[in-house]
Amino acid sequence: MNRRKFAGLVGVAAGAGYLSMRASKPEDKGPGAGPPGKSPVAVLKAASYDDDLVAKIRDGAALCGLHVHGKRVLLKPNLVEFDSATAINTDVAVIAAALTAFRSLGAASVRIGEGPGHRRDTLGLAEQARYLHTIPDFEGVFTDLNRDDVRPLDNFAGERFYFPETVLGADLIVSVAKMKTHHWAGATLSMKNLFGLVPGAVYGWPKNKLHYIGIPRAIAELNRTFRNTFALVDGIVGMEGNGPIQGRPKHAGVLVMGQDLAAVDSTCCRIMGIDPARVEYLRLASNIGHVHEASIEQRGESPAALRTNFDLIAQFRNLRLG
Amino acid sequence: MADSLRRRLDFLLASQNPDGGWGYFPGKRSWLEPTAYAMLALHRQSESAVLDRAWSLIETWQLPDGSWRPGADVAGPGTWVTALGVHLHCAHARFDGHFTRGVAWLLGTQGTECNWLARLVGRVQAMTQPGGADNDVSHRGWPWLRGTTSWVEPTSQAIVALRMAAAHYAGVEARVTEAEEQLLSRKCRDGGWNYGSRKALGIDLPSYPETTGLALVGLQARNGELGEALAHARVLLAGTHSRLARAWLSIALKAHREQPPAAEGEPDGDILLAALEAIAHPGGNRAAFCLNGGAG
Repeated sequence: MNRRKFAGLVGVAAGAGYLSMRASKPEDKGPGAGPPGKSPVAVLKAASYDDDLVAKIRDGAALCGLHVHGKRVLLKPNLVEFDSATAINTDVAVIAAALTAFRSLGAASVRIGEGPGHRRDTLGLAEQARYLHTIPDFEGVFTDLNRDDVRPLDNFAGERFYFPETVLGADLIVSVAKMKTHHWAGATLSMKNLFGLVPGAVYGWPKNKLHYIGIPRAIAELNRTFRNTFALVDGIVGMEGNGPIQGRPKHAGVLVMGQDLAAVDSTCCRIMGIDPARVEYLRLASNIGHVHEASIEQRGESPAALRTNFDLIAQFRNLRLG
Repeated sequence: MADSLRRRLDFLLASQNPDGGWGYFPGKRSWLEPTAYAMLALHRQSESAVLDRAWSLIETWQLPDGSWRPGADVAGPGTWVTALGVHLHCAHARFDGHFTRGVAWLLGTQGTECNWLARLVGRVQAMTQPGGADNDVSHRGWPWLRGTTSWVEPTSQAIVALRMAAAHYAGVEARVTEAEEQLLSRKCRDGGWNYGSRKALGIDLPSYPETTGLALVGLQARNGELGEALAHARVLLAGTHSRLARAWLSIALKAHREQPPAAEGEPDGDILLAALEAIAHPGGNRAAFCLNGGAG
């Protein structure tokens, strides 16, 4: 019995994610060198959600050399759960700005799609998070990815896996993630956000199958499968402590963007005071993206200058960046 | 018939696909889950031809091992949809070979938390973690998919299906009682149910209104032990903005012999929601989820 199976046996309900993380000893082996060349990542200051976010997103896309013209774009927010006391979801201001920005960049179409992991009332969540009434014609541009029609892809973690038609039909998937700590993965950023592409109508609520594949491996597999991606991480107000749901709001005042999601997440980690080389999913993804600082071309602000340590729960204190 | 119920049933009738099933949304391909709820909502409320066409489709989605797949485009089985397949057979009094194979498949399925290794880890966690283990792993529930852990919704759905099946299939009582124990052990500190655990990493989790409703539907036979939970459900029903949650909480309270108010307004284009709101309606198909035949 291998370690993934061991972790899966206990499952999320019994808190085995924690055990698997403790058993994984991510410090045993650092991330690989990554693909050839360097990856640009844009770090832009945004003090609040009242800033001109459309302009910042357009600037970030330009800094990263993103071409949007004529593409069918899918914006994938992080819409998980609502609690007015904290900052769980991608802020509606960022999603609304992204919709405007990508339309203005010449996208053929821009849709918003999300498949929350454990709450079935996606539209209800969107209403609580103010998406429904803030974004014009929200229901006209939104797809509940949990309940979309599906098609299979072969060889996802060695098996056939089903994904929503809306996802498979997109030319560009923009992971509009939230900068948060995560009590099983260490951090949840643009790569983990792709969990929401997996349809609940096939795999349930939660998508427990992904936990049995192994959370870090499933993150890496999703990002290996979907290469037509761009990351836009909402770090204006993120979450620290017991994320991704029960943590505390943490102001970091940044938007982080790039086409290499591993490089974007590694940059976010450095801003959060987390060593990306110790985050297992990033280590597993280092064959498809860059984790090492020297391989990331930082554009805009310096991540080191914007570093603000996010509190880590005891199980992840070993991830702290030196 | 009340207008609000009529509008929902009319919406369901108008959105049936040519293959006899329903999608999650009008014009989308058919899936078992919205088809099952639409059939339960329309039971005895529509022409038999509508349900006959749906039946033909449902039967084609049963796999040779007795399980059901979630929809036409998905090859593998799901536990919750198999529970719904059995549930439909009971609701329509079709205790045939499809029914028997479906029940057998459910009885042969359990969450992985009940294997020896998981139980060992649970015991270690109980001894080492302040406040004890996150979950009692001594009782078997049902997972969404075979080979994974039990969760509240598929466990509740399987309990309802097997309790309905019990008069026509011997030997389900012990397993159902065990699953009820699992649900009871997972009740959150606030009196309701989260989607899976009552705690994560030793920290209490909040209940959610929709999963509280689902758990209470599954625990109908334990009504006498649910005073606090039912009180919490009433509070959740009064406070939630989620139509889906209101529907499940209303179905649950009806199953526990209460009479919650009807959903008003128009159906919003969500077929599964419209079907659940129709079932939850005071004039809706009371027997759809009530184990006592709708005596409530």
